[in-house]
Amino acid sequence: MAAETPARKTIPTPLRDGTLDAATLLEASQYGSPIRVLPEVNVVKVGGQSFFDRGRSAVWPLVEELARCAQSHQIILGMGGGTRSRHAYSIGLELGLPTGILAAIGASTALQNAHMMQMLMAKHGGILVSFEEFEKLPMYLRNGGIPIMVGMPPFHHWERPPEMGRIPANRTDAGVFLMAEFLGARSMIYVKDEDGLYTDDPKKNPDATFIPRITAQELLDMDPNDLVIERVVLGYLQKAHHVRSVQIVNGLKPGLLTRALAGEHVGTIIEAPLDP
Amino acid sequence: MNELIKEGEGRRTHIKSPLMRESLMDRKVLAASDAQEVLPILPDVHVVHIGGASILDRGKAALVPLLDEVVRCRQTYKILLGVGGGARMRHTYHIALDLGIPTGGLAMVAGAVNEQNRFMVQALLAKHGGVVLHKDHYVVLPLWMAAGMIPILSGMPPYHYWEPPTGDRRVPHYREDFGLFMVSEVLGAASMIYVKDEDGLYTADPKTNPDATFIPHITAQELLTRNPPELIIDRSVIESMVFARNTRRIQIINGLKPELLGRALAGEPVGTVVTAPRDTTKEAADGC
Repeated sequence: MAAETPARKTIPTPLRDGTLDAATLLEASQYGSPIRVLPEVNVVKVGGQSFFDRGRSAVWPLVEELARCAQSHQIILGMGGGTRSRHAYSIGLELGLPTGILAAIGASTALQNAHMMQMLMAKHGGILVSFEEFEKLPMYLRNGGIPIMVGMPPFHHWERPPEMGRIPANRTDAGVFLMAEFLGARSMIYVKDEDGLYTDDPKKNPDATFIPRITAQELLDMDPNDLVIERVVLGYLQKAHHVRSVQIVNGLKPGLLTRALAGEHVGTIIEAPLDP
Repeated sequence: MNELIKEGEGRRTHIKSPLMRESLMDRKVLAASDAQEVLPILPDVHVVHIGGASILDRGKAALVPLLDEVVRCRQTYKILLGVGGGARMRHTYHIALDLGIPTGGLAMVAGAVNEQNRFMVQALLAKHGGVVLHKDHYVVLPLWMAAGMIPILSGMPPYHYWEPPTGDRRVPHYREDFGLFMVSEVLGAASMIYVKDEDGLYTADPKTNPDATFIPHITAQELLTRNPPELIIDRSVIESMVFARNTRRIQIINGLKPELLGRALAGEPVGTVVTAPRDTTKEAADGC
């Protein structure tokens, strides 16, 4: 058998043979650190249920603040879904649809919000950027544009089954984080309707206390039943090369986003410090 | 029925649904979302993934007899074919890593190798109904299946720049084996068969270690616990199987023995069967 087995046509590389899953894959190689693709960019995620669904009174002031900030910072906006995603997930779950289909369905709501945000931001340079146009970001940013993107990652049917339940684990918080990490962004800011992270849901528990700064590991160890940010982001933070901290800010309080973009600590910072 | 709920001026407007106002991070909410059965979407389709390095890189002598068997089996079974990358993909990773391209960039460029292989396999199968299935055309699969076609899909999942970071390993974690696994999982496919160049899993790499012994059946949980240094299938598949709703059994077969494909499609264990029982104690009693 061995004699008649057709040989593999190979290309030699310094990557070890065998599985690419090996922890030691790059050990013997001399690859340097990954580059930052767009190091000046700040990725700002606008929450769906937690912000956009509040409508004009919340969104209009944020649009003006974003327009002012964009004069001194490069900003890419990522849009969340919100209550319509929940409505769709709820019906999809009842119909017995698998996670991959729910993920594809969820992206449509975030796309609606991205379209609406683009109409609001158009006069300030808001541009809707699809996944297919991702490589055009440098041109839009160089011309002073404010790219607006769907927060959901493009996983769709390939969204893996979550550890619990059937609702996709990678939603818009995860999508914008992964984009920021790929870009090597300067900052990743989540605009929500709370000051940040609390020990419990402050909308339901008046005794919940505010947490100004916490590490991803502490948060994973606390293992709260509920969380203001998608759980998978904590794991991603710990494996990231560039984005090792994110800040959650209250978009209902004018000026906080501006200060966060200036590097100030105005909400909750979740970080994964690198070992010294 | 669709009731809008306004919480007052400047407050949020909800649509009434069981998930309204709920945090989708709340474990109680997530656990409740698991109560219903998952719908099998195309339960009579078999997903067959052809390895890149293991089969395609061996060229005509390995590929053509295997595709002949695919064509023969298509008379009886609806088959969706996936194709892997292989040596050119590894070279792509090497050059990209050397240039300092981040993980998402590696995932973005690697898929082109699958696409080359997909074009080659489609050209060979065209006269037998081989068609390229783009990910955007996923929803027309029923039409192609009913028309007797053999859709051919490139293996890489469309994670692209959004590939999750992999720390010091830097190479994408979600690769071709996983891409086809997810096709099988979402469709609720009849079987998921990986065609490689070994009879299946061994206790070590049989190409380098003559003492390696064959494993005809193993659970995903046990495989994750053993964590062997060499695994013929992407680890992300084994990890995902444990949480899968549909595809909790896969089979790895030797494509250098093409006749095994027909038997695997009939459900016979002819390679290594990996199962992910929901209750591991029960599985031990049932066998595979």
